[in-house]
Amino acid sequence: MAIDLSMPVLVVDDYKTMIRIIRNLLKQLGFSDVDDAADGTEALGKMRQKSYGLIISDWNMEPMTGYELLKEVRTDDGLARTPFIMVTAESKTENVIAAKKAGVNNYIVKPFNAATLKSKIDTVFGE
Amino acid sequence: MSSPVHSEIREAADSLTSKDDISLVDILSLAEASIHSMKTFIDSLDSKVYEEFRGIAEYIQNTKLEIGNLQANDLTSNHIPGAGDELNLVVSSTEEATTKIMECAESVLDADSSDPKAYKELVEARMMDIFEACSFQDLTGQRISKVVETLEHIETRVGRFAAAIGAGDNDAPANEKEAKRKKRKKDQILNGPAKDGEGVSQDDIDALLNS
Repeated sequence: MAIDLSMPVLVVDDYKTMIRIIRNLLKQLGFSDVDDAADGTEALGKMRQKSYGLIISDWNMEPMTGYELLKEVRTDDGLARTPFIMVTAESKTENVIAAKKAGVNNYIVKPFNAATLKSKIDTVFGE
Repeated sequence: MSSPVHSEIREAADSLTSKDDISLVDILSLAEASIHSMKTFIDSLDSKVYEEFRGIAEYIQNTKLEIGNLQANDLTSNHIPGAGDELNLVVSSTEEATTKIMECAESVLDADSSDPKAYKELVEARMMDIFEACSFQDLTGQRISKVVETLEHIETRVGRFAAAIGAGDNDAPANEKEAKRKKRKKDQILNGPAKDGEGVSQDDIDALLNS
């Protein structure tokens, strides 16, 4: 099944530069509907207003981290099935295990490249 | 235990008990021997207390000297704010350069390539802009060196002070704010970027997720 490139994607990161990089990479991959949020709280608010096909989130943000966001999303009946990719500099084994337990669909360690992002999105959507 | 003083008292006491007729001079001799004995004891006691107080005074003096050497006022009013300013400038200059480079890349990606000559000129101009933006690295390198110098300055003084007062490490947070920060880091598993050679690779992460 081909990935629906028109699906809305939400990029969550507290660094504008990183949002811009991911936006550009997504644009190159063909995604046209990309929104952003600066932390988990803002992301949750947006997710409750609009249905997103994919969440790409950083881990370390304030006040709500990406880890908290992931747990909130997975316990919210309306959002629980949203694919969630963590893109983070947190590269300790305990982080990966915690994210897996919380229900992350994939995990990308920063710095990353376009090929890695594409490959993880493909994996999440079973391409 | 028999010191000369004890012997003196004992002799005076023996002399008294062996006599039928005890004179005032005998009693005074015994009293004198007793007083002599007590004086020696009090003198030795004074000397020990004096030594203790002198030790404490020296310790206080040394601590004051080490506090002075710490240059705490200079650290808090100059070195630490200065280092903070340098780091803020590093953040802003790297952000500025990154934005500039991304703008160049975006303008090339969005450019109309139907006119090869105009497209080539635009690409070359944007590449020159990227080279210029990369000059931030020299300045940030110098600024970070100044911050490292400050950290070494602090490390030397704090280390010397801790050694001078024999300070042990205390794991307890310094204040409530630090306690909250520590708790958040633990609860949210915030380790931050790993150093080279630490942390797991993308391949290891993929394997962990698939296990």
